[in-house]
Amino acid sequence: MKICLVCSPGGHLTEMERLFPAFEGKEYFFVTHRSEYSQHLEKAHFIEYKIGYIRERITWLKTIFIAFRILFKERPDVVISTGGGEIAIPFCYVGKLLHANIVFIETLARIKTRSGAGKFIYPIADLFLVQWETLLKKYGKKAQYWGNVI
Amino acid sequence: MIFVTIGGMRAFDRLVKEMDRIAGELDEQVMMQIGSTNYEPKNCDYFRFMPRDDIEELYASARVVVCHAGTGSILTAAKYNKPLILVPRLQKYGEVFDDHQLEIAKEMENRGIIIVYELSNLKFAIKNANTTSVKVSAGSNLTGRLKEYLDKLERLSKA
Repeated sequence: MKICLVCSPGGHLTEMERLFPAFEGKEYFFVTHRSEYSQHLEKAHFIEYKIGYIRERITWLKTIFIAFRILFKERPDVVISTGGGEIAIPFCYVGKLLHANIVFIETLARIKTRSGAGKFIYPIADLFLVQWETLLKKYGKKAQYWGNVI
Repeated sequence: MIFVTIGGMRAFDRLVKEMDRIAGELDEQVMMQIGSTNYEPKNCDYFRFMPRDDIEELYASARVVVCHAGTGSILTAAKYNKPLILVPRLQKYGEVFDDHQLEIAKEMENRGIIIVYELSNLKFAIKNANTTSVKVSAGSNLTGRLKEYLDKLERLSKA
Protein backbone atom coordinates (compact mmCIF):
# COMPACT_ATOMS: atom_id res chain seq x y z
CA MET A 1 0.00 0.00 0.00
CA LYS A 2 1.33 3.40 -1.00
CA ILE A 3 0.44 6.66 0.74
CA CYS A 4 0.64 10.20 -0.64
CA LEU A 5 1.11 12.82 2.10
CA VAL A 6 0.19 16.22 0.73
CA CYS A 7 0.32 19.57 2.55
CA SER A 8 1.81 23.03 2.34
CA PRO A 9 4.95 23.83 4.35
CA GLY A 10 4.62 25.62 7.69
CA GLY A 11 1.96 24.66 10.21
CA HIS A 12 0.22 22.13 7.97
CA LEU A 13 3.52 20.26 7.57
CA THR A 14 4.36 20.49 11.28
CA GLU A 15 0.99 18.87 11.99
CA MET A 16 1.59 16.16 9.38
CA GLU A 17 4.98 15.38 10.90
CA ARG A 18 3.34 14.92 14.30
CA LEU A 19 1.29 12.13 12.69
CA PHE A 20 4.37 10.30 11.39
CA PRO A 21 4.13 7.33 13.79
CA ALA A 22 0.92 6.39 11.95
CA PHE A 23 2.86 5.96 8.69
CA GLU A 24 5.76 3.96 10.12
CA GLY A 25 6.54 0.82 8.14
CA LYS A 26 4.35 1.94 5.24
CA GLU A 27 5.43 3.19 1.84
CA TYR A 28 4.77 6.89 1.46
CA PHE A 29 5.86 9.98 -0.44
CA PHE A 30 5.37 13.70 0.14
CA VAL A 31 3.99 16.42 -2.06
CA THR A 32 4.55 19.96 -0.83
CA HIS A 33 5.72 23.40 -1.92
CA ARG A 34 9.41 24.12 -2.28
CA SER A 35 10.46 26.08 0.78
CA GLU A 36 13.15 26.40 3.46
CA TYR A 37 10.60 24.71 5.70
CA SER A 38 10.20 21.63 3.51
CA GLN A 39 13.69 21.07 2.06
CA HIS A 40 14.57 18.52 4.77
CA LEU A 41 11.94 16.08 3.49
CA GLU A 42 13.02 12.93 1.73
CA LYS A 43 10.89 11.11 -0.82
CA ALA A 44 9.18 14.36 -1.79
CA HIS A 45 7.82 16.03 -4.91
CA PHE A 46 8.31 19.79 -4.55
CA ILE A 47 6.01 22.25 -6.29
CA GLU A 48 7.22 25.79 -6.91
CA TYR A 49 5.05 28.33 -5.13
CA LYS A 50 5.29 32.11 -5.35
CA ILE A 51 3.08 34.48 -3.43
CA GLY A 52 1.15 37.31 -5.02
CA TYR A 53 -2.48 37.49 -6.22
CA ILE A 54 -1.91 36.55 -9.87
CA ARG A 55 0.99 34.15 -9.32
CA GLU A 56 -0.92 32.23 -6.64
CA ARG A 57 -3.87 31.73 -8.99
CA ILE A 58 -1.62 30.54 -11.79
CA THR A 59 0.03 28.12 -9.36
CA TRP A 60 -3.36 26.71 -8.32
CA LEU A 61 -4.19 25.94 -11.95
CA LYS A 62 -0.77 24.44 -12.56
CA THR A 63 -1.14 22.32 -9.44
CA ILE A 64 -4.12 20.50 -10.99
CA PHE A 65 -1.94 19.35 -13.89
CA ILE A 66 0.95 18.55 -11.58
CA ALA A 67 -1.43 16.46 -9.43
CA PHE A 68 -2.41 14.39 -12.48
CA ARG A 69 1.22 13.91 -13.45
CA ILE A 70 2.43 12.89 -9.98
CA LEU A 71 -0.54 10.73 -9.02
CA PHE A 72 -0.62 8.91 -12.39
CA LYS A 73 3.04 8.06 -11.91
CA GLU A 74 2.92 7.16 -8.22
CA ARG A 75 -0.56 5.59 -8.09
CA PRO A 76 -1.05 5.91 -4.31
CA ASP A 77 -3.77 3.87 -2.60
CA VAL A 78 -4.34 6.61 -0.04
CA VAL A 79 -4.03 10.40 -0.20
CA ILE A 80 -3.69 12.04 3.22
CA SER A 81 -3.78 15.81 3.64
CA THR A 82 -3.71 18.32 6.49
CA GLY A 83 -4.25 21.30 4.10
CA GLY A 84 -3.80 24.05 2.95
CA GLY A 85 -6.36 24.21 0.24
CA GLU A 86 -4.11 25.39 -2.58
CA ILE A 87 -2.37 22.01 -2.66
CA ALA A 88 -4.82 19.74 -0.76
CA ILE A 89 -7.86 20.40 -2.96
CA PRO A 90 -6.30 19.48 -6.35
CA PHE A 91 -4.51 16.42 -4.99
CA CYS A 92 -7.56 15.08 -3.13
CA TYR A 93 -9.86 15.53 -6.16
CA VAL A 94 -7.40 14.04 -8.64
CA GLY A 95 -6.68 11.25 -6.13
CA LYS A 96 -10.41 10.54 -5.90
CA LEU A 97 -10.65 10.30 -9.70
CA LEU A 98 -7.86 7.73 -9.58
CA HIS A 99 -9.76 5.73 -6.91
CA ALA A 100 -7.45 6.53 -4.00
CA ASN A 101 -8.85 6.56 -0.47
CA ILE A 102 -9.02 10.22 0.61
CA VAL A 103 -8.14 11.14 4.20
CA PHE A 104 -8.44 14.77 5.26
CA ILE A 105 -7.39 16.03 8.68
CA GLU A 106 -8.63 19.54 9.40
CA THR A 107 -5.89 21.78 10.79
CA LEU A 108 -5.49 22.35 14.52
CA ALA A 109 -5.99 26.02 13.73
CA ARG A 110 -9.70 25.49 13.04
CA ILE A 111 -11.77 25.32 16.20
CA LYS A 112 -15.02 27.08 15.36
CA THR A 113 -14.87 27.72 11.62
CA ARG A 114 -14.29 25.44 8.63
CA SER A 115 -11.22 25.90 6.44
CA GLY A 116 -11.54 26.38 2.69
CA ALA A 117 -9.85 23.01 2.14
CA GLY A 118 -12.21 21.32 4.60
CA LYS A 119 -15.33 22.68 2.88
CA PHE A 120 -14.14 21.52 -0.54
CA ILE A 121 -12.81 18.11 0.46
CA TYR A 122 -15.56 17.05 2.90
CA PRO A 123 -17.91 15.75 0.17
CA ILE A 124 -15.29 13.43 -1.35
CA ALA A 125 -13.39 12.36 1.77
CA ASP A 126 -13.43 8.70 2.81
CA LEU A 127 -12.20 9.70 6.26
CA PHE A 128 -12.69 13.25 7.51
CA LEU A 129 -11.20 14.21 10.87
CA VAL A 130 -11.40 17.42 12.85
CA GLN A 131 -9.03 18.22 15.72
CA TRP A 132 -11.59 19.92 17.97
CA GLU A 133 -14.96 18.48 18.96
CA THR A 134 -16.54 21.93 18.60
CA LEU A 135 -16.05 21.69 14.86
CA LEU A 136 -18.02 18.45 14.40
CA LYS A 137 -21.38 20.20 14.18
CA LYS A 138 -20.05 22.67 11.58
CA TYR A 139 -19.47 19.79 9.19
CA GLY A 140 -21.80 16.80 9.03
CA LYS A 141 -22.19 13.20 10.04
CA LYS A 142 -19.09 12.10 8.19
CA ALA A 143 -16.75 14.25 10.32
CA GLN A 144 -15.09 12.49 13.24
CA TYR A 145 -12.99 13.60 16.18
CA TRP A 146 -10.13 11.23 17.10
CA GLY A 147 -8.06 13.67 19.16
CA ASN A 148 -5.50 16.23 18.04
CA VAL A 149 -1.76 16.79 17.66
CA ILE A 150 -1.34 19.11 20.66
CA MET B 1 17.46 35.56 23.94
CA ILE B 2 14.03 36.49 22.67
CA PHE B 3 13.16 34.66 19.48
CA VAL B 4 10.51 36.29 17.32
CA THR B 5 9.01 34.32 14.44
CA ILE B 6 6.20 35.11 12.02
CA GLY B 7 6.19 31.69 10.37
CA GLY B 8 5.02 31.34 6.80
CA MET B 9 5.26 33.28 3.62
CA ARG B 10 3.13 36.32 4.37
CA ALA B 11 4.46 39.57 5.83
CA PHE B 12 3.69 40.69 9.38
CA ASP B 13 4.89 44.32 9.45
CA ARG B 14 2.96 45.28 12.58
CA LEU B 15 4.76 42.76 14.83
CA VAL B 16 8.20 43.18 13.22
CA LYS B 17 8.11 47.00 13.55
CA GLU B 18 6.93 47.02 17.15
CA MET B 19 9.35 44.28 18.13
CA ASP B 20 12.23 46.22 16.56
CA ARG B 21 11.25 49.33 18.54
CA ILE B 22 11.11 47.29 21.76
CA ALA B 23 14.46 45.61 20.96
CA GLY B 24 16.11 49.05 21.11
CA GLU B 25 14.90 49.44 24.70
CA LEU B 26 15.82 45.98 25.99
CA ASP B 27 19.08 44.63 27.36
CA GLU B 28 18.26 41.15 26.10
CA GLN B 29 19.27 39.91 22.66
CA VAL B 30 16.45 39.71 20.12
CA MET B 31 16.52 37.48 17.03
CA MET B 32 13.74 37.88 14.46
CA GLN B 33 12.52 35.75 11.58
CA ILE B 34 10.70 38.23 9.32
CA GLY B 35 9.74 36.22 6.22
CA SER B 36 8.64 38.52 3.41
CA THR B 37 7.99 41.52 5.68
CA ASN B 38 9.15 44.73 3.94
CA TYR B 39 10.31 46.52 7.07
CA GLU B 40 13.90 45.70 8.00
CA PRO B 41 14.75 45.77 11.72
CA LYS B 42 17.45 48.20 12.88
CA ASN B 43 17.83 47.28 16.53
CA CYS B 44 18.21 43.52 16.39
CA ASP B 45 19.45 40.60 14.32
CA TYR B 46 17.05 39.19 11.79
CA PHE B 47 16.74 36.78 8.87
CA ARG B 48 13.96 35.98 6.45
CA PHE B 49 13.80 32.19 6.26
CA MET B 50 15.94 29.31 7.47
CA PRO B 51 15.82 25.52 7.08
CA ARG B 52 13.75 23.79 9.74
CA ASP B 53 16.65 22.31 11.71
CA ASP B 54 18.42 25.69 11.99
CA ILE B 55 15.27 27.46 13.07
CA GLU B 56 14.61 24.81 15.70
CA GLU B 57 18.01 25.59 17.24
CA LEU B 58 16.78 29.14 17.79
CA TYR B 59 13.63 27.85 19.48
CA ALA B 60 15.80 25.64 21.67
CA SER B 61 18.10 28.45 22.81
CA ALA B 62 15.42 31.11 23.38
CA ARG B 63 14.24 32.26 26.81
CA VAL B 64 10.87 33.15 25.38
CA VAL B 65 9.29 32.83 21.92
CA VAL B 66 7.16 35.65 20.51
CA CYS B 67 5.24 34.56 17.44
CA HIS B 68 2.12 34.74 15.32
CA ALA B 69 -0.66 32.33 16.34
CA GLY B 70 0.25 29.72 13.72
CA THR B 71 0.15 26.01 14.51
CA GLY B 72 3.70 25.40 13.25
CA SER B 73 5.17 27.97 15.64
CA ILE B 74 2.97 26.84 18.54
CA LEU B 75 3.80 23.14 18.08
CA THR B 76 7.53 23.82 17.67
CA ALA B 77 7.64 25.99 20.81
CA ALA B 78 5.78 23.20 22.63
CA LYS B 79 8.37 20.67 21.42
CA TYR B 80 11.12 22.70 23.16
CA ASN B 81 8.94 23.53 26.15
CA LYS B 82 9.39 27.29 25.60
CA PRO B 83 7.30 30.03 27.22
CA LEU B 84 5.22 31.59 24.50
CA ILE B 85 3.71 34.99 23.72
CA LEU B 86 1.27 34.92 20.81
CA VAL B 87 0.39 37.86 18.59
CA PRO B 88 -2.49 36.75 16.32
CA ARG B 89 -2.39 37.94 12.72
CA LEU B 90 -5.55 39.91 11.95
CA GLN B 91 -7.54 40.08 8.74
CA LYS B 92 -8.30 43.78 9.16
CA TYR B 93 -4.61 44.60 8.69
CA GLY B 94 -4.25 42.26 5.70
CA GLU B 95 -1.98 39.95 7.68
CA VAL B 96 -4.00 36.83 6.95
CA PHE B 97 -6.99 35.88 4.77
CA ASP B 98 -9.37 35.36 7.73
CA ASP B 99 -9.32 35.57 11.53
CA HIS B 100 -8.72 31.90 12.29
CA GLN B 101 -5.60 32.75 14.34
CA LEU B 102 -7.92 34.19 16.98
CA GLU B 103 -9.48 30.72 17.43
CA ILE B 104 -6.27 28.93 18.35
CA ALA B 105 -5.12 31.99 20.35
CA LYS B 106 -8.24 31.78 22.52
CA GLU B 107 -7.62 28.08 23.14
CA MET B 108 -3.98 28.76 24.07
CA GLU B 109 -5.09 31.60 26.36
CA ASN B 110 -7.15 29.03 28.29
CA ARG B 111 -3.91 27.08 28.76
CA GLY B 112 -2.09 30.02 30.34
CA ILE B 113 -0.32 31.43 27.28
CA ILE B 114 -0.19 35.23 27.05
CA ILE B 115 -1.95 36.59 23.98
CA VAL B 116 -1.13 40.12 22.84
CA TYR B 117 -4.11 41.55 20.98
CA GLU B 118 -2.90 45.17 21.20
CA LEU B 119 0.75 45.66 20.33
CA SER B 120 1.02 48.44 22.91
CA ASN B 121 0.95 45.60 25.48
CA LEU B 122 3.79 43.63 23.92
CA LYS B 123 6.69 45.20 25.79
CA PHE B 124 5.00 44.71 29.14
CA ALA B 125 4.26 41.10 28.21
CA ILE B 126 7.89 40.41 27.30
CA LYS B 127 9.37 42.07 30.39
CA ASN B 128 6.87 41.05 33.03
CA ALA B 129 4.50 38.47 31.73
CA ASN B 130 4.14 35.25 33.52
CA THR B 131 3.52 33.23 30.42
CA THR B 132 4.07 29.51 30.10
CA SER B 133 4.86 26.82 27.60
CA VAL B 134 2.23 24.71 25.86
CA LYS B 135 1.93 21.26 27.32
CA VAL B 136 1.37 18.64 24.66
CA SER B 137 -1.24 16.24 25.93
CA ALA B 138 -0.13 12.64 25.84
CA GLY B 139 -3.71 11.36 25.91
CA SER B 140 -4.53 12.13 22.31
CA ASN B 141 -5.06 9.02 20.28
CA LEU B 142 -5.24 10.59 16.83
CA THR B 143 -2.02 8.99 15.59
CA GLY B 144 -2.89 5.55 16.97
CA ARG B 145 -6.35 5.51 15.43
CA LEU B 146 -5.05 6.80 12.11
CA LYS B 147 -2.54 3.94 12.09
CA GLU B 148 -5.34 1.43 12.78
CA TYR B 149 -7.34 2.90 9.90
CA LEU B 150 -4.37 2.56 7.51
CA ASP B 151 -3.62 -0.98 8.73
CA LYS B 152 -7.23 -1.92 8.00
CA LEU B 153 -7.04 -0.45 4.48
CA GLU B 154 -3.84 -2.39 3.90
CA ARG B 155 -5.46 -5.66 4.97
CA LEU B 156 -8.47 -5.01 2.70
CA SER B 157 -6.26 -4.21 -0.28
CA LYS B 158 -4.42 -7.50 0.16
CA ALA B 159 -7.60 -9.53 0.61
